[in-house]
Amino acid sequence: MSWSEFYDTYGTRLLEATWETIQLSVYSFAIALVVGVIIVSFRVSPIPPLVKFATIFVSFFRNTPLLVLFFLAFFGLGELGLVYSGFTTAVWALGLYTGAYLSEALRSGINSVPQGQAEAGRAIGLGFVQLLTLIVIPQAVRTVIAPIGSLFIANAKNTAVALTISAPELTALSRRMINDAAGTWRSLLTVAAIYTVLLLFVGWGFRGLEERYAIKR
Amino acid sequence: MPNVLIEELGPRGKRRVRMWTILAMVLLVALIAWVLWTLGNQGQLAPERWTEIFEPATLQFLGEGLVNTFRAAITAGIIAVIVGFGLAMARISHTAWVRGITTAYVEFFRALPLLLTIFMVFFGASALGLDLGFFWSIVVALVLYNSAVLSEIFRAGIRSLDRGQTEAAQAIGLPYWPMMRLVILPQAVRRMIPAIVAQMATLTKDVSLGFVISYAEFVVRGSRIEAFSEEATNFQAYVFVAVVYFVIIWALAKLAEYLEQRQRTLPALAAVKDIGGITEDAAIT
Repeated sequence: MSWSEFYDTYGTRLLEATWETIQLSVYSFAIALVVGVIIVSFRVSPIPPLVKFATIFVSFFRNTPLLVLFFLAFFGLGELGLVYSGFTTAVWALGLYTGAYLSEALRSGINSVPQGQAEAGRAIGLGFVQLLTLIVIPQAVRTVIAPIGSLFIANAKNTAVALTISAPELTALSRRMINDAAGTWRSLLTVAAIYTVLLLFVGWGFRGLEERYAIKR
Repeated sequence: MPNVLIEELGPRGKRRVRMWTILAMVLLVALIAWVLWTLGNQGQLAPERWTEIFEPATLQFLGEGLVNTFRAAITAGIIAVIVGFGLAMARISHTAWVRGITTAYVEFFRALPLLLTIFMVFFGASALGLDLGFFWSIVVALVLYNSAVLSEIFRAGIRSLDRGQTEAAQAIGLPYWPMMRLVILPQAVRRMIPAIVAQMATLTKDVSLGFVISYAEFVVRGSRIEAFSEEATNFQAYVFVAVVYFVIIWALAKLAEYLEQRQRTLPALAAVKDIGGITEDAAIT
């Protein structure tokens, strides 16, 4: 099989699989952002049961392999009659997994704001919400852009694990092409190149954001 | 608990916190009760479904899988540390082409999903007429990825040292390698240990990906429970696998955390701030 034949046969499928990977990454990361914000607000709240819940949540999702979470969600919950497609399961499992990491990144961002900043805000009479939106969040966000970027990339790479629950994404397609005898290294390197290019752009995007919002003194 | 958002609470604040505490407790208990009730309704809590997993034959079957997981993790961990160290040395070398090649290697393997690397080793090697087998396929793939990550950890550790250390060593006339061996590395390695342990936890988690080439590790064994057991289903099997895996990785993560904490408090090893972020980084695949 020549290169041109390879692209004639698999061109569309490569595009579809790339789109699937992009969708998985973006949807799951959107869930991760929501989960991360909720969990971190539990974690920094003064209410002990919520703090405990958030700690256990983060600890569970960070210390269990992603593959096991996928299987638990796909086959385990399937056993309970909660059957969802591979795509839906992957999006939610990834969202919760990355959300746990994200909440930790957000927490260290909040803790990076010096105590004096909040005290100064309170001293000039700002309420809790104003304090949060005017003083703490604008400063915390700057320090968490870089960690959020690396989490996005890690999350995008982790979408490959979705092939185990038969989501037709890029890495699954590479195995498919190898089994179809489309040329082992050709298939592998094509897919590797797609990943590299995609993640390169994401990396640039986040670096741009970081520079744009960097604290200039 | 105290953080930038919360100051010392007054009497009214304390009352409000108490109210929310009670409300949250009620909600959490309701959540747990609902989960248990649903499971019970489906008959998943029936004791015979769970006892089957703890029968000697099943435990032995799963235990062998766990041993295989550890075997792969330890082999890959040791090789990855050695290779990663070599890569870090090459990365800070004074020769441009050595630096270039290592940078390319590190960036390439860090950018790929580990599963794709596993396929590269497994299918790619056999396409080149090299039969690695399941065990070495997963080990080689883990080494390729983790040595790249570890080399970044080593490099950050070396760079976190004060420049004065290098300057002082040069001032007393130490050549490059004795300087590394006597001055730089003893300090740098000590700082890197928490991050390395954290990366080992990640590596152990990633052995589970050996599933895709059906290397007989813990998760693969767990997935076969349903096939030969009478009562136990995938649900019990994966809950068991998840709990055991969690305990192992949690213990490793705690160890890393403890080591890092100790470094922060030991005055001789203070100023490990730069490396703190690395531990966090290392903890995610």
